[in-house]
Amino acid sequence: MIDASGQNVLSGEMSIAEQERDDVLLRRAAKGDEDAFTLLYRRHQAAMYRFALRMTGNTWAAEEIVQDVFMTLMRDPKKYDATRGALGAFLYGVARNRVMKHLERMPREIALEEKNEDGTGSGIVLQDACTPAVWAEKRERMQQVRAAVMELPVEFREAVVLCELEELSYGEAAQMAGCPIGTIRSRLHRGRALLMAKLEMFRGVPRRASAAR
Amino acid sequence: MKCEEFEAIGLDAERDGSLSEVERVSAREHAGTCSRCAALQDSWRAAGIELRAFADETALAQAPARVEMRLRQEFRTRHVTLKGRRAAVVAAWALAAAAVLVGAMGWRNWRNGGQAESASRSNSSASVANGSAKSANAYRETPAQSAAALQPDSADSEILLADSELSDFTLLPGALMADTADAAILRVRLQRGSLSSLGLPVNEERAGEWIQVDLLVGNDGLPQAVRLPQE
Repeated sequence: MIDASGQNVLSGEMSIAEQERDDVLLRRAAKGDEDAFTLLYRRHQAAMYRFALRMTGNTWAAEEIVQDVFMTLMRDPKKYDATRGALGAFLYGVARNRVMKHLERMPREIALEEKNEDGTGSGIVLQDACTPAVWAEKRERMQQVRAAVMELPVEFREAVVLCELEELSYGEAAQMAGCPIGTIRSRLHRGRALLMAKLEMFRGVPRRASAAR
Repeated sequence: MKCEEFEAIGLDAERDGSLSEVERVSAREHAGTCSRCAALQDSWRAAGIELRAFADETALAQAPARVEMRLRQEFRTRHVTLKGRRAAVVAAWALAAAAVLVGAMGWRNWRNGGQAESASRSNSSASVANGSAKSANAYRETPAQSAAALQPDSADSEILLADSELSDFTLLPGALMADTADAAILRVRLQRGSLSSLGLPVNEERAGEWIQVDLLVGNDGLPQAVRLPQE
């Protein structure tokens, strides 16, 4: 069962327990409470997975990154210091490091055909039912946008994913990326310019001279 | 606001919380007057819509259930192992403590046994040395070593002294050692030949020698036993 915020809620017991703070759950998990660990995982996995998927464009890589993030939390829960920020931000930081490592070694890897758990072909699932022509057009467009995002340099891609896809504020994005707001703004500006140029190129619109600057 | 500034901060002026209201108004005014920047903003909005659509496609994406299963399995393995390790550590400490305790008790017993043995040895040697003299000496020597260490052997020491006393004296023929509690020991000097009057055999050749003997005289004033002191 999925609640309004997109989080997995399995039972009434879990939804009551969700009121508990992350640091309390983490302390319980560190003492061997599996339910507390599971609750933490369910609370944060979707956001980590989305971030990893949008950054890597690869479901297998995103899955591996999520697993790595929570393995880190399981192995060394003391790495998280509640006085320094929310657990979500800490997990984002760990996920970001894993994503960067993955992207560093990605050119040496050959992407295999992506399959979902249910065997469908793409990591992105269209939600609405349209005519086949519209569906195909939308699908093609989504693939273009995805390709345009994936072709951005990593720093610009991160800024676009955090600000445009995750819809974080500039301040939050700067905190996640560990850089000043001005840097985020600058990266976003450059990323947007490149993105627009690529999207227009995919559309067949002549490239705007100023956009790729 | 100039075109460069607009491209840098004006495209997303409405969302950028770090901009002031004045900068936002300025960006809006610039987009209203500059057709190039207005077109750029339209293009960005179109791209934004497509990005939003892309974001919506992945908004409900979640890690597959197998990730959770793997993590939970790992969690169980890890914590069962940790519990086992903790139990092993506790057991190891308990064993070490028991070993130390046994060692300490063994050492204490060995030490006490050694002390008692040396005390009994000193008592024995004291009694052998003084057995022929006064039995009280054996006790006088070790008042500080006291009862605890000497107590177990004191009875043996008494017996040893008594044996020593009795064995030193030779009963005279016809005498009975009935009660020696009030008997007195008299040291006398006499000729060896006088021993024959007490019923003892005498070498005639040495009968004229003067010797010193101890006589154990009973309550009736008669000698009961005789002892020849060591020269």
